[in-house]
Amino acid sequence: MELSEESRRLQESAVEFARQALAHDVVAADASETFNVAAWRRCADFGVLGMPVPKEYGGLGLGLSALLAVMEGLGYGTRDQGLLFSLNAHLWTNTIPILRYGTEAQRTRWLPGLCDGRLIGANAASEPDAGSDIFSMRTRAVKDGGSYVLNGTKMFVTNATVADLFVAYATLDPALGATGITAFIVERDTPGLTISRKLHKMGLRTSPMAEVLFDDCRVPLDHRLGREGRGVEVFECSMEWERGSILASCLGVMRRQLEECIRHAKQRKQFGRPIGKNQSVANRIVDMKVRIDTCRPLVTRIGELKDRDQPAMLEAAIAKLYVSDCFIKSSLDAVQIFGGYGYMTEQQLERDLRDAVGSGLYSGTSEIQRNIIARALGL
Amino acid sequence: MSDVRETIRQYILATYLPGESAEHLLDDTPLRTSGILDSLATLGLVSFVEKEFGIELEAHETGIDTFDRIEDIAALVDRKRG
Repeated sequence: MELSEESRRLQESAVEFARQALAHDVVAADASETFNVAAWRRCADFGVLGMPVPKEYGGLGLGLSALLAVMEGLGYGTRDQGLLFSLNAHLWTNTIPILRYGTEAQRTRWLPGLCDGRLIGANAASEPDAGSDIFSMRTRAVKDGGSYVLNGTKMFVTNATVADLFVAYATLDPALGATGITAFIVERDTPGLTISRKLHKMGLRTSPMAEVLFDDCRVPLDHRLGREGRGVEVFECSMEWERGSILASCLGVMRRQLEECIRHAKQRKQFGRPIGKNQSVANRIVDMKVRIDTCRPLVTRIGELKDRDQPAMLEAAIAKLYVSDCFIKSSLDAVQIFGGYGYMTEQQLERDLRDAVGSGLYSGTSEIQRNIIARALGL
Repeated sequence: MSDVRETIRQYILATYLPGESAEHLLDDTPLRTSGILDSLATLGLVSFVEKEFGIELEAHETGIDTFDRIEDIAALVDRKRG
């Protein structure tokens, strides 16, 4: 499945941009868990954040296929996967839901800032006791006069410490189940919203994550996103786009890992010959290549479906499940091929591996993706 | 009313119980509390009912009390259509 000429050009531009503008010291940023705001702004200036948004709302009006090609280019060109993860969280949990479910006033108010990088978006959905079982959430929204009053705790909120906007989910009544859940746009300075605890992660450490507390947090009625009791629609839309798209940048990482491993396997000599001449090494590299070539069509298919405005829930789950599994395996293979050097921080492969492990967890665990696929099969 | 019930029944059978006989999905069969419909399926049924019958359901109308049996849902549709 070949990229279109336009997507190929955009991808090459993204690689060049990432090499030049996102070449910061990620080893140090990872160690200190530092989010690079300047790099975020450069990505926004490059246009990444506005690509899927129509021009009237400050975007570039390009399709998802083009954006996925760019994301792969960024993944190939920069080592800062945490930054790319933050870009993805912003796009799929804020920009797309507001674009698709927001009122005209909401789109006009927030999309331009989300596109040009002035605003950073965060997703407040998971809770301490509602992760995979997201619809069992306890955060309550009670309508009171001209506002909804939100109370509850949100967990694993990517971008929380730097976010200006939160797309938050709460239930009007837990007894209603999924039909009680409602989505809201909550601005950072809203009284009652606090970042209660910064969270520390195994990987993606340059992407900030925190716990968020809503304590009698009053959200104006016109900040509700979508219909009352239809937050699940907003959430599912967000997840469909995210699951199908978030691993595009990982394709770029896998491609970079493959090239590094081939180079290393040719140059590194042990027992008088390049290590790539050993089948046990070569086979790992072969597997890495096969994974990339089998992953890319799954991601490309999501772009094609969404560009035709077609549903992609099943296809997104398949892509998420398969690509994340391949990403983890290839990252582990890369470490193994580099041996002791691969285990060292400076080589930056161990960080790739730590970053990759998260891919089997975020946007729905691999187990949840299998559940979605099973449901689609009528099981 | 019976048309409404039948329309809802056929949708549930086709979408969530493929291969199941209509005789096993009675007007008073619990849909949610029995596990036939999970959260997402319930939302799917709500959307179907709204579109099919040209009504808009409020969140509080989709609780277990009013949205767990075909007969209850059909009665809700009738009330909404006036």
